[in-house]
Parts: sequence; structure tokens; C-alpha cells
Amino acid sequence: MSAREQILGKLRGARQPFADVGPVQDRRPMIPLPELSPAEQLRRFISEAEALGCRVYQVSPNEALEQIMDLLDEDKKVSSWREAQIPLDGLHGMLGSLGVTVGAPDAGDTRVGITGVTAALAATGSLIVESGAGRYRSASLLPDVHIALMRAEQILPDLESWAEAQRAAAYPAFRQASNTTVISGPSKTADIAHQLVKGAHGPREVHVMILA
Amino acid sequence: MTIKVESNNFISLADVALHNEDLQHAVGEGTRAAYYKRLDTMFAHSDAHGEFMRQQAAEAKRRALRELPDLLEKTERNLRQNGIQVEWALDAAQANQLLLDIARRHGVETVTKSKSMLSEELGTNHAIEAAGLRVVETDLGEYIIQLADETPSHIVGPVMHKTKAEIRDVFVRELGMAPTDDAEEMVAFARKMLREDFLKADMGISGGNFLIAETGSIGLVMNEGNGRLCTSLPRVHVALVGIEKVVESVDDYVTLTQILPSSSTGQKLTVYTNIINGPRREGEADGPEHVYVILVDNGRSEIYATKYAEALACIRCGACQNACPVYRTMGGHAYGWVYGGPIGAVLTPLFVGLENAKPLPHASSLCGSCKQVCPVDIDLPRMLLDLRWDLVQAGESEFSWDLAMKMWAVGMTSPTRFNLGGLAARRGQHVMGEYIPGILGNWTKHRDFPAFAPKPFRQLWKERAASRNSRPARSPASCGKQDNTDNI
Repeated sequence: MSAREQILGKLRGARQPFADVGPVQDRRPMIPLPELSPAEQLRRFISEAEALGCRVYQVSPNEALEQIMDLLDEDKKVSSWREAQIPLDGLHGMLGSLGVTVGAPDAGDTRVGITGVTAALAATGSLIVESGAGRYRSASLLPDVHIALMRAEQILPDLESWAEAQRAAAYPAFRQASNTTVISGPSKTADIAHQLVKGAHGPREVHVMILA
Repeated sequence: MTIKVESNNFISLADVALHNEDLQHAVGEGTRAAYYKRLDTMFAHSDAHGEFMRQQAAEAKRRALRELPDLLEKTERNLRQNGIQVEWALDAAQANQLLLDIARRHGVETVTKSKSMLSEELGTNHAIEAAGLRVVETDLGEYIIQLADETPSHIVGPVMHKTKAEIRDVFVRELGMAPTDDAEEMVAFARKMLREDFLKADMGISGGNFLIAETGSIGLVMNEGNGRLCTSLPRVHVALVGIEKVVESVDDYVTLTQILPSSSTGQKLTVYTNIINGPRREGEADGPEHVYVILVDNGRSEIYATKYAEALACIRCGACQNACPVYRTMGGHAYGWVYGGPIGAVLTPLFVGLENAKPLPHASSLCGSCKQVCPVDIDLPRMLLDLRWDLVQAGESEFSWDLAMKMWAVGMTSPTRFNLGGLAARRGQHVMGEYIPGILGNWTKHRDFPAFAPKPFRQLWKERAASRNSRPARSPASCGKQDNTDNI
């Protein structure tokens, strides 16, 4: 008999536990939010993301480019999602004209990574990124600095409302994307004497640029 | 291949911890900080809401356990549909063998590993090394543990028992780090060392905090990002997941993946809440080519059939450890196996056999904090009591305890013997003084033995009844405050 059959056989042979637990009557979100207008939702997202240690900017496309060049400092290369996947048309061309090479993520010596997001969450200040063609996992993972470009319309109230939208679309983030990550601030650890240190393995800086 | 069980040495291991001031300081500080952060987050909205969410999470886990065999089959189907290969392992030997077979099939030489308590149960690192492969723990705490050749002492903070200076010494001794007392410099040093390992690794091993039956997804939570690196960079990703980690739906997952960090570190979400749905898809430039899930039983189906099935609801947040006065005083190593604290005192006897962990059900004051903080409301005190009962049934109670209980029974079953016993105690205490010799000596060395009341309760009751009958009823007007109790 295979291990599978043995395990399932033992479980089915046992008296069923928790027979008294009924179906869900009233499911509530972990973080209750009042009804928020889009402007309030944006404010909540910004304050939560900043509390996590993100830098948040509300910028025009030109200001975004300036900020990106600032963050690149002297660097002449950046790893970025494909242009179709980020809400800043012509970014790669503009970076190229300023002498910056835009590439796919490499062995990890590129200091800055640029991504879009598929959604953002007001209740927790989180960014949701789904992997896919042109949406490299490593761009938000290997570099020291992660720049996420997004639009205010992408903000949802909370993880529960995101799951709701997922269900309506047959769970794209759970079935089509090979990997989906909800990012809440810069990588961190408190393993050494409970002291919070940013940049454990992932980016130590997360810059969120909300494009007007 | 599994790790050694030392739980029967609990008393001597606890003694070691109680003589280590650095450890006591580190564990005390770490557990208390986490305890208060949890309170802030869980009850940020209101006490009632926090409690409601705890019950919502508790029911989600229990519903899943109730339907476990069906949900496992559904999970397997959906994992496969997503392109994930599924294996089943009855015990540690099978799980490690499956892992090594996968490694061999894909020509793996170097393995990076993200934190997994299940792999501690299975002794996975030893099995991999014994097969001649290299395995590197990549969670910073686990990395330090691996370098120091120790075992994790806390479910979430494996190196909670070590001070900064001790960690510095491990890095200096094992990796030649330039000495520094700056935690940021130590983290930067470890990041650099581990980044090289990540880029070289052929296979990444992870655990799994949740398996979502509805969609065939693996849910992982982490703060450092090492789990993302382990499951994104190598060609092969293997997730070792206990069969009890299955949840029914995305909705249940959404509750649980938030209440886990809220209870654990007081974060609303971990920095990375990672959902893995299979190998890289067409057109993707990174991500593993092969993803496996090994569904591991290792004793879980046995526990499922007992009155301890509730223990399988545990989501490994460590809140009970942070709340436990016993754990807070001595850390996790004294429990002698993989899991410390209240959940460890329950799980260890269930996994390794009660006869191999006899002291653990007694390693608790039954104060109830563990149940109160548990995000899935596991009745740990009830299970500790049941385990104590099991010990007695198995004839495993101590001789002195048995003798005392028998004498107690003799005294309590006859009013005459009870009165005589009381008289002996009241008179005897003047003879003995405050220090009791013999087996109670250790107890009274640091505490005064409480004095017996000069009159027993039954005598006071009689006297009070006599005086009540002879006393005239007071009129309400004679009292400053209305008090009718004596008139009733």
C-alpha cells in the first residue's frame, strides 16, 4: 500500500473530529475599515506604507523619472519589468537616453529594480506583485532598492477585498501566476537581539511612486 | 535520522537554562516584546473584534481538519493542475528519501533552505549532508543556529536565546567576520555570504504555512525574503508540508495568513506574504522549473484519531511560547525536542511517545495564558491535564506523589480523620517551624511555609451560626448604608 493510501486510510478510519463546527455565518475582515472615499483610501495607503518604512511619492511621469534618476545616483544600469507592465509609458527609452541600461534581473549586482504592481492595499500599505512574462520576480527581490510604480486606482481596501476580486476573476493570482507576493515594506529581520534591521535578504529600501 | 529526544531530561536541562543569566535575559526580553506587540495588533480595533477574529481563525482550521482526507485529495488535484508535483511521506525516513530522490533526479549539489519546523522534526539537514550534498539554512536565525550546531529554541525566533555578543562570536569563529557589535553590520555580512549561496544553489527547500485546497497554492510568510529567494532562484523547489496545513478556501487563507503574524510578531502582515502556484510559466524569465510538494504525515494521522486532534490546528506562531511563564524563564531547549513552550509540551509527547517525554505535561502552571493568546484557540491547558491523566493511567506518576494522594484520600473520606489531620497540622507547625525537612525542603528553602489558621473553617461556621441566632436583627436605619443581608 502506498504512503498516500495509508495516510488517507488512517484519517478516514478515525472518528471525524470537530463534527460540531458549522459553516461560516458571518465572515469579517481582519482589519475593519470604515467606508472610504478614493481620496481617503489613498491617504490610508500612504500612511500605512510609510509606517512600514516605505518612501511614498505622488508624482507626474516627469517627476517620477527625476526621482528614479536620483535614486540611481551614479549607477548606469537598472533592472526593470517590461514597459507594458509598468504604468509609465516610454520609461525605458527615457532612461536609455540618459545613459542608463535597462535589463532583466542579473546575478544580483544591479542595485535598483523597477516593477509595477497588480494591486495595493490601503489597510496594510501593501503592494501585490504577480509574476509573469516580463514581470520578473527578482526585480523586487534581488536589488537593494525596489521602486514600485503604480496608480491610485489600483488601491483596494484590504486583503479580503483583493480575494473577493480574485474570486470574481477565477483566481488569476492563485492559478495563472506562478508566484504572487504581497509586499509590506522593506525586507527586515529582528533575529539579532530583537533589533530591527532592514535589508535582510531583499530590498532595504522600497520606494512607491503613485503616478497622477 | 530524526533529532534526538531529550525530553525526559527536562529537569536537568531546565536547571542549565536557569543558571544561564544571558539566556534568561535574552528570552525574557524577546518573549515580552512579542507578547505586547501582539496585544497592540490583535486588539487594535476592539477587544471584541480581536476575539471574533480568533474564533473565525479557530473555526477555519477546525473545518479544514474535519474534512482533512477529502481536502488533501482536492489539494493534490489542484496542486497538480497548477503544475506542482505531489509526493506523500508516512514518516521522516520516507520524506527525506523522497527529497534526496528529487535532488538526484535533477543533479542537485547545493541546497538552500528557508525556515521549516517540519524539517527539524524530520532531521532533513542531517539526511542531506549524509548524502554528500551541501545545505545552507538561509533564515538569519536558522543560519546562526546551523553555524553554532544548535537547534532552534523558539518557533519564530530560533535564536532568541542568544545575545548579540554570542551571535557575533559565532560569525567571527565560523566565518571569520571582522568583529563588530553592530547588528546592522552583522546582518549585512550574513546577507553577503548567503547571497553567494543563493546564486549557486540548484535546489531550494521551503516549508509551507498553508496549502489552499481550493486553488492548489502554497502559502508562505516571511520577513527577510529568504523564502522568496529559495523558491525563486534555484531550478528546483521542494516544499515540505505537514498534512495538517491544508485550508479549505482562499477566504480562510486570508484570515489565517493575517492572524499568524498578528499573533506572532504583532505585524498585520509579514513583509512577504508569498503565494506559490507552480513552476515558472511560459515566457517567464525567472522562477523554478520544477516545484514539488511533499505531504508529510510523521505521526499526524495518529494524533488525528485521538482526543488531541486539536493540536493539529496549530499554525506555529509562537504566541503561546511568548505568553508562557515557564517558557519565558528558561527558553525552548529544556523541552528536549523540536517544539518548546506549551504547544511543545503537548506536541512532543504526541510525536515521540509519552514515555519519552514524561516531565513535559507537568512543565506548566496551567495558568491558561497559552489558550488565551492562541490565534486558533487551542485548549492547551485541557490537553496538558489529559496528558497528565494518561501518565497516571500508564502508571507513570511519581511514588511520592502517589503516596501523598493516597494519604490525602484517606484523610478526606472521613470527618474524624479530617479533623484529626487539621489538629495535627495546627499543632505540628509549631514543632516544625518554617522549614520542612525531606522532599518539601527545596520548596521551603526560599519560601515561608504558610501558617495554618488557628481555627478551622468548620468551627468558625458553627460559631458564626450560633452568634447569628442569638443576635437581634439590625434595623436599616441604624446603619449608615442599607444592608439587609442579615435579615434574609
